[in-house]
Amino acid sequence: MAVSRLFVANRGEIALRVIRTAKRLGIETVLGVSAADKDGLPAQMADRAVVLGPAPAKDSYLDVNLILHAALATGCDGLHPGYGFLSEKPDLSRRCAEEGLTFIGPRPETIETMGDKLSAIAVARAAGVKTVPGTDDLPDARAAAEAAEDLGYPVVIKASAGGGGKGMFLARSPDGLETAFIEATREAEAAFGDGRLYIERFVERARHVEVQVIGDGEGNVVHFGDRDCSVQRRYQKLIEEAPVTAMPAALREALWHSAVTLCAHARYRGAGTVEFLYDVTREDFYFIEVNSRIQVEHPVTEEITGHDLIEHQISAASGGGIAVAQDALTFTGHAIEARINAEDPEAGFRPAPGRLTAWHPPAGPGIRLDSHMRPGDLVPPFYDSMVGKLIVRGESREAAIEAMLRAIGDFRIDGIATTLPLAARIIAHPDFRSNDITTRWLEDRLLPPADVA
Amino acid sequence: MPMKPSDVEVLIELFEASDWQEMHLEYQGEELFLSKSADAAGLQTGTVAIGASPALPTHASASLDTPGGALTPSPRGTIDPDRTGWEPLKAANLGTFYRAPNPEAPPYVREGSAVTPDSEVCLIEVMKLFTTIRAGLSGTVREIVARDGEMVEYGAVLMWIEPNA
Repeated sequence: MAVSRLFVANRGEIALRVIRTAKRLGIETVLGVSAADKDGLPAQMADRAVVLGPAPAKDSYLDVNLILHAALATGCDGLHPGYGFLSEKPDLSRRCAEEGLTFIGPRPETIETMGDKLSAIAVARAAGVKTVPGTDDLPDARAAAEAAEDLGYPVVIKASAGGGGKGMFLARSPDGLETAFIEATREAEAAFGDGRLYIERFVERARHVEVQVIGDGEGNVVHFGDRDCSVQRRYQKLIEEAPVTAMPAALREALWHSAVTLCAHARYRGAGTVEFLYDVTREDFYFIEVNSRIQVEHPVTEEITGHDLIEHQISAASGGGIAVAQDALTFTGHAIEARINAEDPEAGFRPAPGRLTAWHPPAGPGIRLDSHMRPGDLVPPFYDSMVGKLIVRGESREAAIEAMLRAIGDFRIDGIATTLPLAARIIAHPDFRSNDITTRWLEDRLLPPADVA
Repeated sequence: MPMKPSDVEVLIELFEASDWQEMHLEYQGEELFLSKSADAAGLQTGTVAIGASPALPTHASASLDTPGGALTPSPRGTIDPDRTGWEPLKAANLGTFYRAPNPEAPPYVREGSAVTPDSEVCLIEVMKLFTTIRAGLSGTVREIVARDGEMVEYGAVLMWIEPNA
């Protein structure tokens, strides 16, 4: 069903991002805000903004009943959940369907399946997509040694009943394996009362790579290429880029193919991201999870494809199918995104809410800023610390790096501390320039040890 | 840069969510004193007392008093009466406002009705969940602002009540 009035159930830059595309498509927008956001730019840009509740998210952005009531009472026929908040709650998708609202996202069953790590891995295996190689429960150290030979060292021994790192042992060679197995059995029995163990390949040098897809819900899936998000701190991405340049071309094609196969198998509807671990040493990749929403880093894909992913999302969700054929998609240049978080990297990434006494973004060809902030705005302390995303595009990765460094240099922000100076340090670093980084690089190599304690 | 009304609202919300009893803030020549006790000594001037006392359990956040009632636009085409001394009763969340417990029943209150803190004065509905709203103070209903069956936003003034002297 075509959407004519869209309820935006989110805040900040993604609310603004959705409103912009809706406006261009001639769709009216109603934004549900908390009292803390009622004077913000997204509220001003929407055709109408309604105040759901007080500032705490649980009384506003996370209250499914309030959001549905507001959407229905304002005559909306579609709902966009953005990312975070309720975007991956199957309940919202289900109840939108019950109330006759077009949910701009996957079906509730899909969100449910993809939201659970084990069921998502089961879908991947059923679709023939590779997951981290490993074994089932092993009877003894001898069986473990045989399995480890097949998997290739290093391997990690894990407790079947475990989690959170307990009962995990690394083995780099057959010598170490037997001792580690006995140790791990003992610890698993002590910690969980269950000594069963299995082993997995250990990925020592990993990169985080992902594939953007759009599905029509009927089993047709188009991919919009890949992204590399290996610069992370505590699993939070800080720098994202597209395309992936650290993998051989044939492997990248296999990566796209895996993502498409998996989502076609799941009859995926809407925008999704299939995340993989890239094993740099073995030149192999393994499925991790599917994010069944639009992602923070979607702009880098938009910059190199020239496609508006929010528009594709709306089209796919409202039965309009996929508006582009795979063959018609081309990738041009290189894009990098730096997240601007109101945090102080010099003080252990402490959140730094406050008032923006100055906010002068850079401008020029190839520079894009996705942000809802204006000079004088208050960064409220209630929500995620991200105040925007700076995105640049260049002809090559090298050109994009230089463009990003210039853009950050031209960006003046006063009143709050942000992660932008750190972004510049990362991007200017020889390891980043030579693309010799892993998901551990930022914490292990760049940040002083005190910061990652 | 002076404190704006929205800053004060944010501070009030933070304070309300905290387990603090009192907060006294001085910022660039301005002072703000918040207390959860009605007996607090307060400042000489500019005291904002917030109604999170135990007497108002059902809609504590609705009784926040913002300067000039800025959250709610005036009803269309009417001239505001002199509301000096009246207390606004505000919506604690977005929902649909109903004046009566069901369509056949008479309204809970009319303009001129006398109320006590426990008097039921209206309903707020959110996806078929109805919450009864109580007056929260003793006085006389002077003006019913919200319209029966219409959506109200968080912070909207539902009605004005003149407290007993």
